[in-house]
Amino acid sequence: MRDTARRLTLQYVVASTIILLASGLLGVIIRDSQANLGRIDTNTWYALMTAHGLGAFVGWAGFAVMGFAFWILQEVGFELRRFGLAMARLTWWLMVVGVGGILVSTLVMHFAGSWVFLYPIPFHSAGQWGKWATAIFLTSVLLVGLSIVTWCLSIVDTVIGPGLHAVSTNIFNRLGVAMGFGYLWPKRFGTNPEQVPYVVIPLTVIALDMIVATLPLAVLLVEMIIQTFAPSVHVSPLLAKNVLWWFGHPVVYLLLFPAVAIYYYIVPKLANRKLVAGNVIAIAWVIAVIANVFVFAHHVYLDYPSGTPQAVINTAMQPITFSLTIPSALSLYSLFFTIYRSDWKWTGASTALFLGLVSWLTAGLSGVVNATIAFDVVVHNTLWIVGHFHHMALLNIGFAIFGAIYYFIPDLTGKPLYSDLMARWHIWLTFVFGLVSFGLWLVQGLEGAPRRFAVLPDRYVSLSQAAIPFVIALALTQLLFVYNIVQTMRGAQKKPRSVATAEALFILAAVAAAIGIGVIGFFLGRDTAPKKSSGSATPTVTAPATTTATTTSAAEAGKALFVSSCGSCHTLKDAGTSGEVGPNLDDVKPDAARVAKQVTNGGKIMPSFKGSLTPAQITAVSAYVASVAGK
Amino acid sequence: MGGTAILIAVFYGVVVVISVGIVIAVAASTISRGPMDERKAAHRERNWLLIVIVLLVVLLLGTIFFIPYGKTAPRNSQVVNVTAYQFGWLLSRQTVKANVPVEFVLKSKDVNHDFGVYDSKGVYLFQIGVVPTYTQKLVHTFTKPGRYDILCLEYCGLEHDAMEAHFEVVP
Repeated sequence: MRDTARRLTLQYVVASTIILLASGLLGVIIRDSQANLGRIDTNTWYALMTAHGLGAFVGWAGFAVMGFAFWILQEVGFELRRFGLAMARLTWWLMVVGVGGILVSTLVMHFAGSWVFLYPIPFHSAGQWGKWATAIFLTSVLLVGLSIVTWCLSIVDTVIGPGLHAVSTNIFNRLGVAMGFGYLWPKRFGTNPEQVPYVVIPLTVIALDMIVATLPLAVLLVEMIIQTFAPSVHVSPLLAKNVLWWFGHPVVYLLLFPAVAIYYYIVPKLANRKLVAGNVIAIAWVIAVIANVFVFAHHVYLDYPSGTPQAVINTAMQPITFSLTIPSALSLYSLFFTIYRSDWKWTGASTALFLGLVSWLTAGLSGVVNATIAFDVVVHNTLWIVGHFHHMALLNIGFAIFGAIYYFIPDLTGKPLYSDLMARWHIWLTFVFGLVSFGLWLVQGLEGAPRRFAVLPDRYVSLSQAAIPFVIALALTQLLFVYNIVQTMRGAQKKPRSVATAEALFILAAVAAAIGIGVIGFFLGRDTAPKKSSGSATPTVTAPATTTATTTSAAEAGKALFVSSCGSCHTLKDAGTSGEVGPNLDDVKPDAARVAKQVTNGGKIMPSFKGSLTPAQITAVSAYVASVAGK
Repeated sequence: MGGTAILIAVFYGVVVVISVGIVIAVAASTISRGPMDERKAAHRERNWLLIVIVLLVVLLLGTIFFIPYGKTAPRNSQVVNVTAYQFGWLLSRQTVKANVPVEFVLKSKDVNHDFGVYDSKGVYLFQIGVVPTYTQKLVHTFTKPGRYDILCLEYCGLEHDAMEAHFEVVP
């Protein structure tokens, strides 16, 4: 049985690591583009963002911790039974096919509805993607959702198995025991001889929560798939937003709680003592199982339409969200005291887990900011949020995963880790480069920089560019990890310290060279960056010409162009046109950059004029419209 | 950076410094090890729980009264009707007076948008989500005359980042 669990875990780890590398690369591409280095077109940017978000979040982090859950349960005496094993295998396939479908619908078919695919945006593609892209994307997300449910069923089946040593045979009582109720009510939730291991508690809690959290989203996804082909079917956008976050919050903890199980299992082993935990830690998990599915509305703190109860719901979310910090606070107490004054050796695995705990603490505190409505009004939908969750996802969850890989890989592959020194380099460099890469987002967010902008307003670009060398270095550092794992799996002989150091230095030199390239790129990018904040396809809008004569002739040319090319659809008093297909430009009063962008790229129904007008003509017509609209 | 943003930066900076101090102490303790009573530490976890609860209650009481909900527009408000669409904003008026409350009444023609307002220096002021089929209201009193820019802060499709507009506040 141990072999079955071993193979299963390895399958999960390998597949999720491949997804990490792919989605990480997408992340680097979109962040470079945002800093004016290797600018990609807007639709591609949002499509990559969609793929990066879902890929890295669920396809890497979620998938990896799901796999380690099986191994940890195996190691504390909970074997997968027939049903659990079947569900575990089904989960792997559903996840792999789902992530594959997400990649195809975004990268190939241009679906760019963002990874939260906020209803009803999949049906308003502005001509960028078709029905089939929407249908394949939504179906793929549904498969990923179902894989979460099958994983939960697998976990539930396993934790109520014979490894539990519960006195009762009642399934609900056994679930209570698996959630740690026996620590609080030992008579009612009796076990013989020992209490349930702590690692089982967070896994049981999240398995139950994710079933409750995912099913409404699955219903919404089915509705959206139907709506793709039958537009008359629809639901309330506000309800849909709540349903999305009803799933969207707990799914964050689908990453965190199994990562907690990893910490609970490995940290005491490394410290060579039992987890330092009072029975009070069980209280934290009772709070968690309830609060986890009732905090969803803190994602919509700033949606409170008139005549709806949303403001009341949102207000109630602040204390509930606060209560959800208690499992983290108590777990951190226990884990740090387990390490405190212990026989802790600083290996790749132990460094990863220790720095992971540090990030859990510090990223958790930026989460407290988000949870506080009075603070959220400032950071909502800004890059602060992006900084917060990357900090949490890579440097906490990711470090639990890296730590687990370094710790378990000899057991999983039967071969010793190729180089522990390289593992430590990997962890420390990832930590430092990650902190800078994500910390700069926190700063930009506090300065009001919006998230999910393919092109940021000019005032934020310098910090975006400052981050690029660190982002590239962060990505390249992962080569240390890949090299180390590949060598381990090939069964390469463990190198003496000096050789490992030389190898690490070689890879580091490559990283340093990349930083150099990044710095050069930074200056090149800064010099060649468009001066306006609009997209790369937009011709640079020049200031009105200096002499009156050219101003007049340019204006006349612009006017003539407007009458011939635009007037049939747009009303503009100065040009004497009264088209009603598009917006009345005297009402919109766009500035030149906005006109240029719209004319170049087209809009929802408006065609792109990139092929039919020259950049100079677009500049002329833009300057003209901006100068006369509304006058 | 606005005032609240500075407050957040200070708050977060202080708690991070404290946290770093704690973790360095824990890391250092593994090098110069000494005796530790594990049972006592486990027993004291309940004190830590109490401390955490007290801190959270203090933060809750200190912030919960600064929520943006439930503000109603006074009689003398200037009403600005805002229609959000892919990818622009239609405003019923382009200028408002300073020091007189402004009531923004917002609707969306298509997808979710988010009405984010920045002052002439690019400092973020406020935002409110605009959910299609619903009407949302926000009251704000501008004190400084000048140009104010609107950005869309909820991802709404291809030209989300170019969905800009502006209005003037006059004395």
